[in-house]
Amino acid sequence: MTFGAMAYLAYRAIVAHPLKRLLRQRGTGEARFRAAYETEGLAPTTEADRAIGLEAQACIACGLCETGCALAAADPAIRALGLHAAFRLYGRNPAELPLAAGALEACAGCTGCEALCPTGVPITRVVGALARRAHGARPGSPREPSPSPAARDP
Amino acid sequence: MTPTPGLLEVDVLVIGAGMAGAMAALAARDAGATVAVASRAPGATALSSGAVGVAPDPTASPDEPLAWLRAPVEAARRLAARRPDHPYAAVGVAGLWRLGEALRFAARQLEPLLAPPLERPRLLATPAGNAVRAALCQRSMDAGDLLAVRGPLLVCGFAGHLAFDAALVAAGLARYTPRGGPEVGDAEVALPFDDPAARPHELARALEPPGAAERLGEALRIPAGALGAGAILLPPVLGLDPAARVPERIAAAAGMPVAETLSDVPSVPGLRLHAALEARLRVAGVARVTGEAAGAPAPGRAVEIGGTVVRAETWILASGRFVGGGIARRGALVEPALGLPVQAAEGREAGVHLARRPAASLTVRDRRAPQPLLSAGLRVDAALRPVDDRGRPVHPRLLAAGAVIGGHEQATDGSGLGVAILTGFLAGRAAARRGA
Amino acid sequence: MDYDVVIVGGGVNGTGTARDCAMRGLRVLLLEKADFGVGASGNSSGMIHGGIRYMLSDRRVTALACRDSGAIQRIAPHLLFRIPFIMPFTSRRDGATLRERAAFYATEVYVGTYDRYQPLKSGKPSTRLRADELYRLEPGLRPGLHGAVTLDEWGIDPYRLCALNAVAARGYGATLRTWTEVRQVLADGGRVRGVRWRDVLTGEEGEALAPVVFNAAGAWSPALARASGVDVPMRPGKGVHLTLDRRYSSYGVILTAVDGRQMFLMPHGSESIIGTTDDDYYGDPDDLEATNDEIEYLLEGAASLVPGVRRARITRAWCGLRTTVRAWGRYEDALSREHQLLDGAPDGAAGLLSIVGGKLASYRAQAQEATDRIERLLGRPVTPCRTHEVPLPGGDAVPDPAALARELPVAPPVAAGIVHRHGSRARDVLALVRDDPRLGLVVCRDAGLLAAEVVYCCRHEEVRRLQDLRRRCRLAVGGCGGLDCARLGAQLAGRTLSWSADRIRAELADLLDAGWRERRPVLDGVQLAQEELLRAAHGLVEVA
Ligand SMILES: Cc1cc2nc3c(=O)[nH]c(=O)nc-3n(C[C@H](O)[C@H](O)[C@H](O)COP(=O)(O)OP(=O)(O)OC[C@H]3O[C@@H](n4cnc5c(N)ncnc54)[C@H](O)[C@@H]3O)c2cc1C
Ligand SMILES: Cc1cc2nc3c(=O)[nH]c(=O)nc-3n(C[C@H](O)[C@H](O)[C@H](O)COP(=O)(O)OP(=O)(O)OC[C@H]3O[C@@H](n4cnc5c(N)ncnc54)[C@H](O)[C@@H]3O)c2cc1C
Ligand code: SF4
Ligand code: SF4
Repeated sequence: MTFGAMAYLAYRAIVAHPLKRLLRQRGTGEARFRAAYETEGLAPTTEADRAIGLEAQACIACGLCETGCALAAADPAIRALGLHAAFRLYGRNPAELPLAAGALEACAGCTGCEALCPTGVPITRVVGALARRAHGARPGSPREPSPSPAARDP
Repeated sequence: MTPTPGLLEVDVLVIGAGMAGAMAALAARDAGATVAVASRAPGATALSSGAVGVAPDPTASPDEPLAWLRAPVEAARRLAARRPDHPYAAVGVAGLWRLGEALRFAARQLEPLLAPPLERPRLLATPAGNAVRAALCQRSMDAGDLLAVRGPLLVCGFAGHLAFDAALVAAGLARYTPRGGPEVGDAEVALPFDDPAARPHELARALEPPGAAERLGEALRIPAGALGAGAILLPPVLGLDPAARVPERIAAAAGMPVAETLSDVPSVPGLRLHAALEARLRVAGVARVTGEAAGAPAPGRAVEIGGTVVRAETWILASGRFVGGGIARRGALVEPALGLPVQAAEGREAGVHLARRPAASLTVRDRRAPQPLLSAGLRVDAALRPVDDRGRPVHPRLLAAGAVIGGHEQATDGSGLGVAILTGFLAGRAAARRGA
Repeated sequence: MDYDVVIVGGGVNGTGTARDCAMRGLRVLLLEKADFGVGASGNSSGMIHGGIRYMLSDRRVTALACRDSGAIQRIAPHLLFRIPFIMPFTSRRDGATLRERAAFYATEVYVGTYDRYQPLKSGKPSTRLRADELYRLEPGLRPGLHGAVTLDEWGIDPYRLCALNAVAARGYGATLRTWTEVRQVLADGGRVRGVRWRDVLTGEEGEALAPVVFNAAGAWSPALARASGVDVPMRPGKGVHLTLDRRYSSYGVILTAVDGRQMFLMPHGSESIIGTTDDDYYGDPDDLEATNDEIEYLLEGAASLVPGVRRARITRAWCGLRTTVRAWGRYEDALSREHQLLDGAPDGAAGLLSIVGGKLASYRAQAQEATDRIERLLGRPVTPCRTHEVPLPGGDAVPDPAALARELPVAPPVAAGIVHRHGSRARDVLALVRDDPRLGLVVCRDAGLLAAEVVYCCRHEEVRRLQDLRRRCRLAVGGCGGLDCARLGAQLAGRTLSWSADRIRAELADLLDAGWRERRPVLDGVQLAQEELLRAAHGLVEVA
């Protein structure tokens, strides 16, 4: 480190930085951080989100769940992606999750898929949680999938 | 003793409902035992290509005439002689001797999905244009057996569907022509419905309704006629439900034998196999429990699985390998259901202590070489009882069957379903003897 | 002479310089022995940072780096994504000592000073977070931290950066040849006169004549130069990264490794990466693989601040070689990573110009400097550089994926991926689907890759091997390793590039080999089940 650089940093530490804090900074650090990044979709990952991510990551893209899924009514472009896109494509980058809202909403909550997953992904729970998050975590929308035991493997 | 409510008392409890578990249950049931099968979900069986590989022939040379292909049972014997770790070797000569019986049993149980076994292997095409040998196959595949096709074989894709490349398959199969395989041609026909986004199982379903298969068959007449074909090979989507008789109907309309190739993932033939096993278990009067066995005690003690308490004197663990969930690696190799010792092999060394080795040292750089990590699993004695590091059975009435037994790479060594059938059959019969 | 300059190496330095030279009207031949970005460039952390570390030595360098980061944003906005970073304050014991508190403040001031340069690259001002604020923003951190300071940098897809520079150069008349190795630099009487090359796919050999040879062969450059009697002093350092299946967090965390080095866990595209190691490496640069020790080192470091990462699915481990200017004795990290242009004239190879070191982030400035030198070596006046003004292909606009999805037959999340990779050219990619609906086929449902993009890359982006598509459009690099896409991709590439059936199968095997080498040291948990499924699906099943 050169002497000049040292002197400059000392000046910053003693004069400029305290002044900046005093005059230019509004709100708490957290508020400023959120204001800077949340508008770009870079929101904090809560422990609940992370738990969903850990469950979704168990998907090995085998496609078995799709055979029991009623998403067929969905838009063809969404259907072409298939159900497991929910765990792989949509769920990996929160910043892009809103783009998948339509696809996630198409889930009828029928649980036809769940008993088919070899690695035990709790499919409806993951889809529901992602759909809610895609909608900005508005409680109650879209519908919470209601697991009906009748739809399970005989 | 008054029966506890909600308690399921049976002679044999099978954990896992893939090919191995189902065969074990059916073989035990067939021998008079009462059986319950508990499983969590479909496993490798439902994802398989749909045909039963029994054994690669380690002594075959790559350009010998196809007609020289050795019988599956003989190939299995040669394999066992060369690979002492392989389950075919573990079951001993007496056990392996019953392979033919096990295959016939499986074919009978899965009638009418499977075609009966032949003395020779069948040679079936994959969507990548390779031919693999199978001891048993689904009836929908039988007419595509390269050793049985009379006259040129037309490989036909569906216009608008890029997933199946008929030209690639045909060019691949043409490599076998000099060795006695059929002449091959390729074409594309339009499907009687239009949906380029359809997934394989959706295509399969769409071919089931009256008229659909027939229209496809009609359309096939033109390219088949042009080639003077003796048989037609189609993508592996010929109906989900075998009762819809999609291949037969296409064949009738086309006026010649029609078959589908084997499948990669997702696999419609695998789904058919899974469904047929489930249906057969129901018909055979096997109790079905859905749920995961975790931290289970030992045979003879009650175990709770998915809300049902089951008690059985003999247990058969048929929980598959990594896809099925029977073996897992969580920092080290483990058997999650019962906590049994898992063995791995590295070079000449083998044993339970290798289960903690890093993944890098249990694999080799050449992807196509056998990978010790992927053939890790339980070791069993000739009676199919899992053994510990010193070769002693863990429990006298605990047996294992299928891919949970290590020593072979279920995914790639061409013996996956064969091992499941043989070990399942043997374990089921043995369990019924003990239970009775 | 066939060309004005032959450029050896298709990393960011080679491709960036090719673009600059071609834009200035030079006749350029670019030779790359494998594919664009396969060396350090593609295997870097992919950060376009502003050089905060240089504030201590020379603040002008920081200003320059930030300005250049801003320039890359202008010419390739679609390739970049913002990464906010959190630098947590740790103490040795429960409470922080006075000294530690002073260090926290010093860090805050230091990063606060960096704020002065942030506007040059559209960075946001730093913030100081109290402990409670820190845990609200990143609840996965271990307890006992004393707050943090934050800043942001930009991430980029480095493979596409290289490919787009090359494609742009081609647009200005440069000749590109991938999978073509330079075997020898030709020289006569103390002057280079070209190179001897060999096409590694066809075996074809040839000579290309030019008065200037630019050696941008990265870690391979000393060997290349040595053959002409030129010493390129370089200290190669191996850097390993781990990729997590998905974004662990949208914020990066700066970590301290077990040996006190700085590391990070950061979002990158749709994944997160942990990096990096830095160890001397004097082995064969073509034979690089992550070792178990390196993987444990990274995991240990990451878990020390973010304990939960141990449960995350790790999909692959990959490595690159840093090419640092040689300086003996110091710890690897302290070495300057500044670049240096070496003229071969004193060693009797006039016309051979080599580059050592440099950063991905300042590639454009490095290329500009190299091009100036090349012009001088050619005895021409130095002409103005415009690489900071003219967009890279597709960089003129970033279409809104949602709007694109309304217009063309594609799902919005898929459109987003295509826009990331192709910018305004996403329209050209999707136009293929409009013209041929079959190309709407989803090849990879893991990353949302369409058949159309595979075809587009094969037609327009110098794809010669199937594995090139790993770098152009992420074919078979995702967690599933090519379960759906590998065979389909091979078929599509084969049709587009007129490959024989045997070639298609060989390319498929080669693609899967490449993925296997990165995954095998990290096979654990669900990734092992995935590997089993993948191997089975690709039918290593015995072929009769
Ligand atoms: C993609 C693919 C293609 C293949 N292709 C072929 C082929 O063409 N030919 C061939 O011969 N072989 C093939 N194989 C190999 C073959 O499919 C397997 O070796 C065979 O199916 C294994 O059968 P299994 O019954 O042992 O295991 P699985 O079929 O995996 O069944 C395991 C069962 O155990 C259950 N289970 C696991 N743990 C528990 C628990 N704790 N509690 C309750 N239930 C549990 C699972 O849910 C599942 O039902 C293929 C494999 C794969 C993955
Ligand atoms: C682990 C790691 C992390 C890094 N992180 C960052 C970062 O976050 N930000 C940043 O700015 N910088 C980073 N860097 C530094 C940066 O990646 C490199 O400085 C930069 O990529 C160097 O580019 P290059 O073109 O000189 O070399 P390379 O990218 O290595 O290119 C050399 C090319 O030459 C080819 N070649 C070699 N020999 C021949 C031959 N005989 N004939 C033809 N072709 C040949 C090679 O195949 C290769 O493609 C990182 C580096 C590493 C290793
Ligand atoms: S619950 Fe949703 S995802 Fe599952 S099968 Fe039903 S519609 Fe499909
Ligand atoms: S069944 Fe499970 S592993 Fe397979 S694709 Fe669906 S979620 Fe993924």
